[in-house]
Amino acid sequence: MKITVDLDKCQDHGQCAIAAPVAFRMNDEGNLEYETTVDDSYLDEVEEAADVCPVQAILVAQG
Amino acid sequence: MTITPTAAAPRLAVTDPSFSITSDEVHAAREQSWYAHTEYGLAILRYEEVSKLMKHPKLRQGSAAWPAHNGVTEGPFAQWFDSWILNKEGEEHHRLRRLLNPAFSPKLIGGLVPRFQALAGELIDAFAERGECDFTAEFAEPYAARVIAIMLGLPESEWQMIARESATLGLALGVTLKQDLPQIEEALAKLYAYADGLISDRSANPRDDFMTTLVQAQRDGDRLSSTELRDAIVLLIFGGYDTTRNQLGLAMQTFMQHPDQWDVLAANPALGGQAVEEVMRVNPTVRWVTREAVETFEYQGLLIEAGTTVHLFSESAGTDPRVFGERSFDIEAERKPHYGFGGGAHHCLGHFVARSDMSEALPLLARRLRNPQPLPGATWLADSGNTGPISLPISFTAAP
Repeated sequence: MKITVDLDKCQDHGQCAIAAPVAFRMNDEGNLEYETTVDDSYLDEVEEAADVCPVQAILVAQG
Repeated sequence: MTITPTAAAPRLAVTDPSFSITSDEVHAAREQSWYAHTEYGLAILRYEEVSKLMKHPKLRQGSAAWPAHNGVTEGPFAQWFDSWILNKEGEEHHRLRRLLNPAFSPKLIGGLVPRFQALAGELIDAFAERGECDFTAEFAEPYAARVIAIMLGLPESEWQMIARESATLGLALGVTLKQDLPQIEEALAKLYAYADGLISDRSANPRDDFMTTLVQAQRDGDRLSSTELRDAIVLLIFGGYDTTRNQLGLAMQTFMQHPDQWDVLAANPALGGQAVEEVMRVNPTVRWVTREAVETFEYQGLLIEAGTTVHLFSESAGTDPRVFGERSFDIEAERKPHYGFGGGAHHCLGHFVARSDMSEALPLLARRLRNPQPLPGATWLADSGNTGPISLPISFTAAP
């Protein structure tokens, strides 16, 4: 699946990194780093991350 | 980088009974310095610094020691407080968050919108013709409590129990915790009994509802234990009631000060969501968000020592002229996000619920209660910590 994050909306809360550490992490400066392509087997947790983002900045596309 | 000598920063006496966290004194301090000294530690006053420190990796949530600071170190209340997801950090926190997240999904909450609308309408019907009401007792309290009942699948007629027991639990966040402990623990026992009943029922008879999702929560084979479930349910009742009740009252206060905006909202109900955000920017019920330094670190030239309590002032940040310009209240303006729901790892779990139910209530109130005016006799919680009206008599012109 493909992951896109609207970095203008992103506020670095880090809820995504808690929900789906396979795809999202907060670096030492507290800023988001993420994988743009993740294996489909992780779909549930990546969708969970999109769900919990307080500003709804994450888009997940299958394929 | 300039090192600000700590002696130059202003001092705010936040524990003084006359202190108001939204006063000119606080705003003047903000214009002088991005931080101030308090009896607890540091107060952070400007938007950018509040935003950064809210999620800073060297700051943990700061309230875990509250009961101990008030002489309460054992017993059911201390244990329940210790169980709060808010007081956990690292993997212990993340595990609970991952298990609770699905039950609070924005997708599930969308389905409850018609019930929120019906509830708001029913409550307004009960007092509209009188042309006056106590907005807290007759709208904010039953609305907040019945939303919780809807979420938990309790009969809405249970709302007074929810309101009463939550209010008693709320005493625990004030300085009378130690002497109020027996009644606090009695309220806790009652809410635990309710929670246990819900857990048993949904385990035996699963439904398509929020409570069943919570009871069935599992992730990679890991589940919430019945202790974790009951603790979470009581936290949900307590955490969701007081705050929503207060925030609705503060919304009414702000809109009474800006009648033109109330008219805009009445004419454009789709602005309900933005109205909630703009109210929470200038008049948040959560007046400060508490953090504690886990290690000594330097931030913008200030050395913050391990163990320092840091209070992030939400209204000061929300009205920071560097970000929001001259003081205004405009529900149509595009704004940077406020911090009324906290932020970072401990961002309010229930915020989609709160945003949804308040977004439904405010436009309906705006349409049906025209030209609301304060009547004498309003009583208020102290302007610090969590605030709001205890009673809020208002008059208005009823409209269909």
